Amino acid sequence: MDLPKAWEAALVDLKTWARINSPWAIHFNSGSCNGCDIEILATLTPRYDLERLGIKLQGSPRHADVLICTGPVTRQARERLIRTYEQMPDPKFVVAVGSCGITGGAFEGCYNVANGVDKVIPVDVYIPGCPPRPEAIIFGVSQLLQSLQPPKKAKNRNAIVTNPITGSTPKKGVGE
Amino acid sequence: MSENMKSILSLLIFPGGLAVMAAGMIYEYIDRKLVARFQNRVGPRWFQPLADFIKLLAKEEVIPEGIHPVLFQWLPVVAIAGALTSALYVPMFGVEPAFHFTGDLVVTIYLLSILTLCTGLAGANVANRFSIIGATRTLTQLFSYEAPFLLALFGPAIAAGSWDIAVIEQYATSHPWLMVFQPIGFLVALIGLMGKLELPPFDAPEAETEIVSGALTEYSGRGYALFRLGRSVELVIGLTLVAAFYLGGVANPLLFLAKTLGLLLIIAALQSLFARLRIDQTVGLWWRSGAVLVLLQLLVLIALKYFGVAI
Repeated sequence: MDLPKAWEAALVDLKTWARINSPWAIHFNSGSCNGCDIEILATLTPRYDLERLGIKLQGSPRHADVLICTGPVTRQARERLIRTYEQMPDPKFVVAVGSCGITGGAFEGCYNVANGVDKVIPVDVYIPGCPPRPEAIIFGVSQLLQSLQPPKKAKNRNAIVTNPITGSTPKKGVGE
Repeated sequence: MSENMKSILSLLIFPGGLAVMAAGMIYEYIDRKLVARFQNRVGPRWFQPLADFIKLLAKEEVIPEGIHPVLFQWLPVVAIAGALTSALYVPMFGVEPAFHFTGDLVVTIYLLSILTLCTGLAGANVANRFSIIGATRTLTQLFSYEAPFLLALFGPAIAAGSWDIAVIEQYATSHPWLMVFQPIGFLVALIGLMGKLELPPFDAPEAETEIVSGALTEYSGRGYALFRLGRSVELVIGLTLVAAFYLGGVANPLLFLAKTLGLLLIIAALQSLFARLRIDQTVGLWWRSGAVLVLLQLLVLIALKYFGVAI
């Protein structure tokens, strides 16, 4: 094995390791009823303590790696959601939290919603529930982090890539 | 030749450069872990600051429109360079300062301010309302704590009769703890350090609940990583300065560890104890009580010195 290639592989491994161990999140409400948002805030409180996984809530999209998005995406919020997503530097990941974020939930088919976050921006992980419990949110994020592992190390890669309700797979072209 | 090699080594590896960066990350971890424990949390893992740093370095750096791109890219570098340079004049890790000359106390304090100044400029450079508010607050806070902090560090200098950090440290080592004779100076220096590092009671400049991230809102990737690392480095240097001046010096690595970690424990406790002050409250606190009290103590010290009383 020639040295530059080995160095490059080591560098990629190091970057992946850092990415997995330091996902900073930003929380965006795209028209949710606030149920999921309360659960997300509960997840960040000392009882569940996400800092032990390296997760930190950031105020600025420029500092964030993971966009935690709730709600069915109303027409009003659509532009803002896209803008927030575009403001995040690569590599970036999106987590859709709650039934509304997955398909539109109770608001599915309404004239003013886009029926789910993945109709607007590419989504990496879906966390079902109305609202999902903090344990479910932590499980979802840990699935996202596991999916960043190189294939040989990942244990459960297929578990996350399908939408649990519609069965569709997320669009390509996001992340790595 | 060997003299040059020694200078380069002390600049890049030990006690400046890499060693200070590593110490900065370790102290940042200890600080975060202590605050987490005070809040009844588990807290981050030991490699957390390193993972954050590498991740930020590997991220895309977005350069926004309507700015001066050269300033945007070089301000973080200047900021961390200032912080790392000031490490050379401070008795880091309990060893002698790498360089010293008469008056290096003043130079060190100004080198330590470069980080804050660069943060303010970086915020003012960007056409973003949150950045600009953050920059204004950063600079306002700089003007409020800088003078009391400076005066608080001048107390030991007057007692020792020298502007040389190494000489003051030797004086502090050979005399009883200056913290006992100059309690006001010690308090103001410690709290001034918290203001300098924008730690919680004084974190109005980067209040994430009001102004997103303050002056560094638009920074992503490398620039943000360097600013964060610079702040961690300043934490170690500031703790070393206060320990060397007020806690009887840092004569060997063990004493250095014990004293700086003790100070860090106090700082972490204060961080989790107090809620954020508004910017006008911060300025009021420093100028109405901090500066006045320190000036009073300084006058007493000068008078005692003048009348020949041993301090």
